[in-house]
Amino acid sequence: MSGHCDGGLRSNIEPNCLEKREIMKKTLNKMAILLLLGGVVFTAQATTPEEDRAAFVKHYKFRFPDVPMEEYPNGAYAIDKIGRENWEAIEEFPPYEPFIDEGQEMWDTSFANGKTYKDCFSDGPGVASQYPRWDKKQGMVITMALAINQCREANGEKALKYKKGPIVPLLAYMAFESRGQVTNVVIPEDDPRAMEAYEKGKKFYFTRRGQLNFSCATCHVQNTGLKVRTEVLSPSLGHTTHWPVYRSKWGTAGTLHRRFTGCNRNIRAKPMKAQGEQYRNLEYFLTYLSNGLELNGPGARK
Amino acid sequence: MNMRRLPSVILLAVIMAVVAAPTVAADAAMDPKAAEVMKQIDAAEAARKKAASVESEWTTTGKLIKKARAAESKGDYDKALGLAKEARLQGEIAYQQGASQSELRIPAYLKY
Ligand code: HEC
Repeated sequence: MSGHCDGGLRSNIEPNCLEKREIMKKTLNKMAILLLLGGVVFTAQATTPEEDRAAFVKHYKFRFPDVPMEEYPNGAYAIDKIGRENWEAIEEFPPYEPFIDEGQEMWDTSFANGKTYKDCFSDGPGVASQYPRWDKKQGMVITMALAINQCREANGEKALKYKKGPIVPLLAYMAFESRGQVTNVVIPEDDPRAMEAYEKGKKFYFTRRGQLNFSCATCHVQNTGLKVRTEVLSPSLGHTTHWPVYRSKWGTAGTLHRRFTGCNRNIRAKPMKAQGEQYRNLEYFLTYLSNGLELNGPGARK
Repeated sequence: MNMRRLPSVILLAVIMAVVAAPTVAADAAMDPKAAEVMKQIDAAEAARKKAASVESEWTTTGKLIKKARAAESKGDYDKALGLAKEARLQGEIAYQQGASQSELRIPAYLKY
């Protein structure tokens, strides 16, 4: 009597049909997921960080044979000629300059206890290439932003917010002082948790999220060079070299984790906490990909 | 009726009225639709949390639940029910989306 089970009034009373409708519903959900995952073939394999990095390099070299590696720190402007002209004009009077000055003032100002940032960062402000790094004692990835707040708290100062506000100028100054250094993320072999953190970051990068069911890779690997509204999608090589960024759309400068938040929101995925474990691991993976690329922060973007 | 017992009868009646009153009032407020709405909103909230537990929550789901609550408080039960059901479905799909990717799989467009 399956003919009665197609949504007519009677089907509501027949228990058999109710069951069928349940199955239908489940199938529909399964189909939704299949649709969500649609079209992309996967490979499950264990790869080393160096193999990962090599795969990204190979991918972008194939897609953009004319773009030399040292251009990747410039993001979308490495591959988008028109955007690049505007950007070069902007870089003549860099909108992030006031942030560098303000950050230097912060760096030079002592805490209430008389100590300064220099007491935490003994190598001085130009230490961006030392981050993110695995901290064996704390058992976690330490980013430069987190190190700043750990320094503040150790000296009785309040932690700063992680997406915008006063942490940005300080990061800008430190980034500026680090210009010319080379990205060099290390995954120490004497602590398996470091590789775990890298793997978690990699997993986050390749996981499809949000109502749009996109992963970072969907936009920044598969569709790099294509346009989303008015923006050209940048390659992930170079994604981490130039933070913080003055973004015209923001009308101010913001941090890398603010950008992660925005990219998650764009696909209607609930963002993670800035400087929470997920985003720090993501930064660890993402920065590793840029190993060998020069640091050129702070940056300016549309 | 024995007149001496009248006060206690009245007292009993008063007690019963007092005890019954809130129940009657609650019955009037809790029409069956409202109860169904609350059930669906709770289910949606649970589905949203389950999706969050696999780091897969959508930004749209919490908004729908908020709207469902607002519609419910205005007595617009049909609207609230629709919104809550949609939110619940979103939570369920988002959970499956996350759970189905518990293993890392690198897309084939990235060649090693
Ligand atoms: C819907 C597509 C989309 C997805 C998915 C996406 N992004 Fe983005 N992302 C963009 C757009 C658009 C921009 C701005 C243009 C550009 O630089 O690519 C951007 C910019 C960025 C930037 C800044 C680039 C620069 O040069 O300053 C970073 C870093 C970034 N995304 C990382 C990520 C990460 C990590 C993920 C995954 C959590 C992700 N994105 C997911 C669309 C996306």
